[in-house]
Amino acid sequence: MKKVIVKEQGAGEKVVRHARAFGVSLSESVYPHTATVFYPRERKKMPPNLRGYLMFKPEKCISCWQCAFICPANAIQMKEARNGRYYPNVDYGKCIFCHFCVDSCSGGALYSTKIHDVAYRDMDEMLTLTEEMIEQPEIVREDKKSVEYVIDRDDLHLKRRREQDTLFVEPTPPVEIPMVSQCIDRASCIGCRVCEQVCEHNAISSIMERNVLRMKIDTERCTGCGLCVKECSMQILRLVRK
Amino acid sequence: MEEVIKEIINALITAIMSNQVKIPVLEPVLKLMSQLPVGGFIVSFALWKPFFAALISPGFATLGILLLFFPWIERKLCGRIQWRVGPHEIVWWLGGIIQLLADSVRFLFQEVIVHKDAHRPYFLQFPFLTFIPTLLPLLFIPAGSIVAIQTPYAIQIILALVCLFPLFILGLGWASNSRFAFIGTVREAFMYFAYEIAFVVAVIAMVILYGTSDLVEIGNNQAIWGIFLNPIAAIVFFIGAAMATSRLPFEIAEADQELAAGPHVEYSGIGFGLIYVICYEKAYILSGLMTVLFLGGGSGPVIGMLGELSGLVWFLLKTIIVMTTLFVLRVIYPRYRLDQGLRIGWSSLLSLSLIAVVISIAISVGGGGVV
Repeated sequence: MKKVIVKEQGAGEKVVRHARAFGVSLSESVYPHTATVFYPRERKKMPPNLRGYLMFKPEKCISCWQCAFICPANAIQMKEARNGRYYPNVDYGKCIFCHFCVDSCSGGALYSTKIHDVAYRDMDEMLTLTEEMIEQPEIVREDKKSVEYVIDRDDLHLKRRREQDTLFVEPTPPVEIPMVSQCIDRASCIGCRVCEQVCEHNAISSIMERNVLRMKIDTERCTGCGLCVKECSMQILRLVRK
Repeated sequence: MEEVIKEIINALITAIMSNQVKIPVLEPVLKLMSQLPVGGFIVSFALWKPFFAALISPGFATLGILLLFFPWIERKLCGRIQWRVGPHEIVWWLGGIIQLLADSVRFLFQEVIVHKDAHRPYFLQFPFLTFIPTLLPLLFIPAGSIVAIQTPYAIQIILALVCLFPLFILGLGWASNSRFAFIGTVREAFMYFAYEIAFVVAVIAMVILYGTSDLVEIGNNQAIWGIFLNPIAAIVFFIGAAMATSRLPFEIAEADQELAAGPHVEYSGIGFGLIYVICYEKAYILSGLMTVLFLGGGSGPVIGMLGELSGLVWFLLKTIIVMTTLFVLRVIYPRYRLDQGLRIGWSSLLSLSLIAVVISIAISVGGGGVV
């Protein structure tokens, strides 16, 4: 066992250290490094990739359900919209703001904002419907300044600017890799037609051919969402590059 | 009979008029006031030196104003040093300056709870009784030439009253009849014995140095400040004052984290409010004593316009600086354990105070012309 031995200080060194403590307190009382942000009156400037309140662009959604599948808190549910497509609803009572949904979204339909202060009256209100995620929410802003943390001279400083930070960031469009579903082993198909039922874009159709049901994938209509690949009972469907 | 009464009144008026605080800048206003039938008498009575010293400044009114703002200054300053903000939200554009006013209003209207086991009469009396030893020393502390009672025994009287504080704190703890209060009281008693002897010996060293214990004389005749003549006595006095006010690092008796609030854990409402300010009163008195003994009292460049108030201004300035230093200790040092506090008191502090006495004797015998 090693014993921690504190070096014995001489009287002179002790006096110097006490004096330095007083000096530091004097300099701090004149020019403090206080790092407090007076929140409602001023707002900390957040980075553009902050994991905040979620927004949604329905025209980019391919209804691949990836957000709902990946959500570790089970906060995203897919609900059928009027046009027959399925869009995500976020329950902020469960959401842990991990933003796996944003990362997994292949079309860039879900995106984040800098809003981190949302208040609800009850638990039911926390279930945010798709329609509420499309429009920018109304925000009461009391802040006059935006505050930034700056590190210089190996100390933390606050830099205040007389401006309001924009809370809505235009998302960077994801690199789109066009994918398409393909059957790799037609002989093993049992003709259960699950892929046809699950496809939301009517890209899969079935034809009766000599008493054998043959599935046909329309590559033009297929968005490469991968739902059929996930659901295929024989696991003979694969996503390939277009 | 009438003549006797008239003579007594005349004698009183001449006594009052001969002992006035002279303020050149206010002279025209005072002249205007003295033309009024009652105003002249009120003004001259208010400016009567003992009255002015005891009730206005450096006495009761100044103390009240300091009590109203000093906790705020302390909290704000400590907050700044610790990278916090301190009181802020009440009148936030002024930095929460009326925080203590708001607190005192709350203390005033809060229910005073006397719990079942407390010794009821003593429990209710002690917060008020504690004010006797904390207010009386103000009569003897001079600010320049303004003093309520000038006596050659000023230091002895102040020390006697200062040494009475802990007895009342012990009374508080005993009357509370609670385990936390008991532990806090016992700790207070231990600390009392730890600092008191060194503290008194340090003051005795200064009395030996100056050859008198008249505070007015000491304050006005310091060619070289006492802190430079006998720095060791000043250090002992300062540490003793820190122990006496039981602030960090010697907050052993109150120890918020261990004993809630020590001797005054059971108090609520106005009782707690009174005890809360006693510590600041103690600090004011001890800082005032330190200013007079070590920092030249009211001496400083004379501001002609203010006349005799000039000394008062310097005295208050120095006192506030000493008080601030005393309270800033709490952000620099962590709290000592009881045994560490006792060791500091009985070993280093006591031996330092004895060394201070030796230095004082050496200076007063050897370099007789210095003081």
